[in-house]
Amino acid sequence: MVDEIQILKRALERERFSRKAAEEILEEKSAELYEAKRKLEESHNELLKLYGNASSQLQGVFENIVDPYVIMDLWGNPLKMNDAAIDLLDYEEANKKDSLLQFVNPEDLEIVTAAFKTLITKGSLTGFKLQLVTAKRLKKYVHINCSIIYEDGVAVAAQGVLRDITEEINYQKRIEGEREKYMNIINNMNLGLLEVNIKDEVLFVNQRFCKISGYSKEELLGKQAGELIPLSNDKETIKQENANRLLGESNSYEIKVLTKSGELRNWLISGAPNYNLKGEVIGSIGIHLDITDFRLLQSEKEKLLIELEKSNEELNEYAHIVSHDLKSPLRSINALISWIKEDNKDSFDHSTIKNFDLIEATLEKMEQLISNLLDYSSIGENNIEREMVDTNQLIKDLKKVLYVPKHITVHIKDTLPTVYADRIKLQQLFQNLISNAVKFNNKNKGVIEIGCEEQKERYQFSVSDNGIGIDPKYHEKIFKIFQSLSDDKESSGIGLSIVKKVVDLHSGKIWLESELDKGSTFYFTMKK
Amino acid sequence: MRSLKILLIEDDTIEVMKFNRVVDSLSLRHEVQISQNAEEALKYLNENDTLPDLILLDLNMPKINGLEFLKLLKNDARLRYMPTVILTTSNNQRDLKQCYKLGIGGYLLKPLKYEDYISKIEKLLAYWSINELIKV
Repeated sequence: MVDEIQILKRALERERFSRKAAEEILEEKSAELYEAKRKLEESHNELLKLYGNASSQLQGVFENIVDPYVIMDLWGNPLKMNDAAIDLLDYEEANKKDSLLQFVNPEDLEIVTAAFKTLITKGSLTGFKLQLVTAKRLKKYVHINCSIIYEDGVAVAAQGVLRDITEEINYQKRIEGEREKYMNIINNMNLGLLEVNIKDEVLFVNQRFCKISGYSKEELLGKQAGELIPLSNDKETIKQENANRLLGESNSYEIKVLTKSGELRNWLISGAPNYNLKGEVIGSIGIHLDITDFRLLQSEKEKLLIELEKSNEELNEYAHIVSHDLKSPLRSINALISWIKEDNKDSFDHSTIKNFDLIEATLEKMEQLISNLLDYSSIGENNIEREMVDTNQLIKDLKKVLYVPKHITVHIKDTLPTVYADRIKLQQLFQNLISNAVKFNNKNKGVIEIGCEEQKERYQFSVSDNGIGIDPKYHEKIFKIFQSLSDDKESSGIGLSIVKKVVDLHSGKIWLESELDKGSTFYFTMKK
Repeated sequence: MRSLKILLIEDDTIEVMKFNRVVDSLSLRHEVQISQNAEEALKYLNENDTLPDLILLDLNMPKINGLEFLKLLKNDARLRYMPTVILTTSNNQRDLKQCYKLGIGGYLLKPLKYEDYISKIEKLLAYWSINELIKV
């Protein structure tokens, strides 16, 4: 029993001891735990603080980010967007119930769907480009980088940073457009364009160049242009010109070429050096114009001119010969008539003598006609020799030579100018006008006045008389050749046509004012 | 005043008649030789030792024309000193210039009226009758 008690006692003792020890441990542990808890609390606070800072920092970043930033759920409904994004999409005016898909250009919907799948499976997507239509119906190109937001490993939302690249795209499109425009011009222009490198190897040709040379683009590219096309003589020219290009010189020159079909053509080439970005000559660009037809026309024109000159000369020569041939028989008839008259002085009656006189008068008229015709044809000669002519002096000299009856006065009304004209032709003009005025004057006191009015670019001369006048219905007709209004043997109807021809030769105009029996005034103009 | 030996080169018969008639009417007796064309005239000049004192030349002639004849004359050492007067219808400025360039003794335009012709020829012959002439 004692033993039992002893055993129990000892057991109790041990138990007490171990409990004490346990209590001590517990106490110690709980102190540690407390300490740990305190530390934990501390770090938790720290963490909270840190977290608060971080999220406010993030919030700041989010709000202040320049690029549009959007968070949306996986169905495309916006959860959050910054001001830049609101601006980009004109979101204030948008239907806020609809998803962001409302802003996708319908044509781009398919690529958006595909991009969305990539985003979900890969978790992120960069460099995605699409066209948006904003709430204000503005079309904008955007560039998007986006990623999925996970919560506990589960995709819950997506965030994306957008960039408006409309300007950039438009700019690129414009550049592309310009490029296309210039290529179009280059390809369709009427000038052949050839670009070669410094070895004279063809880098580029336009359609026109192919057309005028007869070679296709493929036949030309990489070939030595200067060896292929020019005639042998002009190959040197090309070499020389290419050397000039290397020195940075540009100029134009003409060469003869053989096209692929062996046709000989004349080309006008404008060559200019081609530089790289560093400013070094890397070749040359030539503009080629086929001037064969032009050259042909030119030489034809020259030939025609020479022929014209020749035929004019021949015509003039011819007029002289004809007039000689026509006048000779008249002279003979005249001589024969005077011999007949002389030999039969006593046997001819009065009326026969009178008839012979009439024959002589007719001969004279005939001769005058031939002379006038010759004058008219010589007036038309191309060789108009202009000089400064003082018309005042010209008229004064004319008055000395011309036959003016005593009852007629020729009066210079204004001081006449000095004009640049053919002296002899101008003299003939005045002579014809004045002698007409003298011839057709029926008044007791005839007055012929010569005047001139200075106008802006020309002088307007006038020769007026108080003679018989000309019916207005003849005013046009009188300037035509052989249109004489009188039966007078003196008037051949050629004087005024010569006058008109002279005025025409000096690029002037002629007209008249006249009243029957009161007189006429002839006006003509002459450039200063 | 001295009578002249005249060579008239003229292809027109009536012109020749006119000239002869005028010469015949003058008191001074001139000796007139007629050639109908230039070849005939050259033949005459080359075949005769004594040259005429005066040549009257029509410009408008068949084959060798007056200007060509004048050129031949002026290039010939023996014939070049003969005074040659042009008697023509042509008042072509170019002909006139050409003649003076080659060297002529005068240039007369044949008038239409016979009376005018008489007067011109009389004066012409009178002038040359009082001239001192070179004899080669």
